[in-house]
Amino acid sequence: MKKKIFTLMLVMILFSSCVAVKEYKKIYLNDPDMKLSAHQNERFESNFQVYREGASGANGGKTGGGCGCN
Amino acid sequence: MQLKSGIKRTFLSLLCIFSMFMSVTAQISDSTKVYKKRVLENTEVDFLMSLYKQDGVHSPVNGGIGTEKLSDQTGAIVISIPLNADDVLTVDAGISAYTSASSSNINPFMNSTAIPLKSLYTGIKGLNASGASSGSGGSTGGGSTGGGGPVTPQNAINPVGTPWLASTGASHAEKLKSLSADYNHSSGDRNLIWGSNISLSSEFTYTSFGFGGNVTKLYNEKNTEIGLKGSVFLDKWKSIYPTELKEYLRIGPDFQYFGYFYGVTILDQGGNASLTYLPDGFKPWSNTGRDSYSMSFYVSQILSKRFQAALFFDFVLQQGMLSTPYHRIYFADKPNYYIGTASDIVHYTSPSNSGVYQLADAIETLPKSRFKIPLGIRMNYYINEMFVLRSYYRYYYDDWGLKAHTVNLDLPVKLSQAFTFTPSFRFYSQNQVNYFGPYETHLSTENYFTSDYDLSKFSSTQYSLALSYTDIFTKFKIKTLGLKNINLKYSHYDRTDGLNANILTLGIKFVGGEK
Repeated sequence: MKKKIFTLMLVMILFSSCVAVKEYKKIYLNDPDMKLSAHQNERFESNFQVYREGASGANGGKTGGGCGCN
Repeated sequence: MQLKSGIKRTFLSLLCIFSMFMSVTAQISDSTKVYKKRVLENTEVDFLMSLYKQDGVHSPVNGGIGTEKLSDQTGAIVISIPLNADDVLTVDAGISAYTSASSSNINPFMNSTAIPLKSLYTGIKGLNASGASSGSGGSTGGGSTGGGGPVTPQNAINPVGTPWLASTGASHAEKLKSLSADYNHSSGDRNLIWGSNISLSSEFTYTSFGFGGNVTKLYNEKNTEIGLKGSVFLDKWKSIYPTELKEYLRIGPDFQYFGYFYGVTILDQGGNASLTYLPDGFKPWSNTGRDSYSMSFYVSQILSKRFQAALFFDFVLQQGMLSTPYHRIYFADKPNYYIGTASDIVHYTSPSNSGVYQLADAIETLPKSRFKIPLGIRMNYYINEMFVLRSYYRYYYDDWGLKAHTVNLDLPVKLSQAFTFTPSFRFYSQNQVNYFGPYETHLSTENYFTSDYDLSKFSSTQYSLALSYTDIFTKFKIKTLGLKNINLKYSHYDRTDGLNANILTLGIKFVGGEK
């Protein structure tokens, strides 16, 4: 567990050392498919996955609430 | 326990400090008035819907066997309104209508022509019309020899039930309603965003109230983004227990002579009439609240002109009634009792059982606390004008002994400026929680038990195809709203324990006219 957290911390540090991309060069990054989140209608999929699986979270979405009992 | 209450206190303190800090910072940064682009130019409206169907053979309501057929239709509308140049209010309202074979078997008993057992008893001597299944409480008879008296061939009514078919119980078809509102404020330089949210939802067995706050800071010419979000959910179960246990709770050890089970023949494992069924292992919950406290961290980074990634960490503490009160448990060290057709007992666990239902020994019981730590990473790479690769991995750990891995890959293919076709693949695997046991394997001496296969060891795969259409110039209009995009997605899901599901989702986004 500690090893995994350490690895993730290391990745974060590496992230922060990257060269900045200027606003006018972000044409590819601004493509709708490059968004670092799911499409609106994919939340229904996430809901049933939370219901049918023991794990949840860490996807930028909802982290609790609801029974998942159906 | 002390550690967990410490985590809760720390979480609430952090939430307060951040809220205060962000309000002050926002005021300072907004004090200089300069020209700025609006955060959201126009009102946006999303119409969302989904159709979901599943089937499986491990219903937790029947103690880990039986049909899991479920269908669900959901509709939602999400409206984002720019309040001014800096503030956006988002309102999200949804309604979901579902039919569930599994939860219909909270009361599995019907007569042979599929009339719920309750209606058979209306008007029978010794039972008033507001009796057993109405949940009105109070005994309908006197002592153990009063009311209906012992079962005899003359007064016996033999209802049937089976874990392999849906009953016509009250929980067969239900609705889930939800409403939430999010408010977000961006600073003048757009490098700081803070907000808060509130949510409500209600369904047959459950109500949920949630609130929270979030803050996001952008650095490094908006190449680095760090976010923090805190949420609290204060949920409440309704005390709905399997019918036989509800009757035991309502009337006591004499429940076979009165109320719902008056005149019903209870069978033992050999198929003989028996009066010895006594679910004394069943203990109702005194407090049916479920609270969830979560803190989510988010870091995203642009790594090149074509590559960006994000890390997600959640810390979630849940406390209270984490079990489902109508999930039956059958103990291996307790004798078995049934209602229905005696000849079906020998093949009870087979789908060919069409007429007998086993009475519960107890209900699912899980610890009153659960601490979850999911860690996720998302990486998106713009390959060329035609292809984008989206990837996601999550590692999950909790103190019930569950560990899980999730991998998701999407490959959007740009067929034209307007159309994108996206095939996706998702793989998930988990081990079982410490308290899981299949049908008839738990012992009555254990402290915690569940036969819910959602908490068992399995892996699952999901294949999806999506087609999206983008109307760049919003040419198609409905009154003042112009169409922005349409997204249609179909997914097929298979779990190694036999559960499978299909889901179709549709999202249509409109934007309001120019301001």
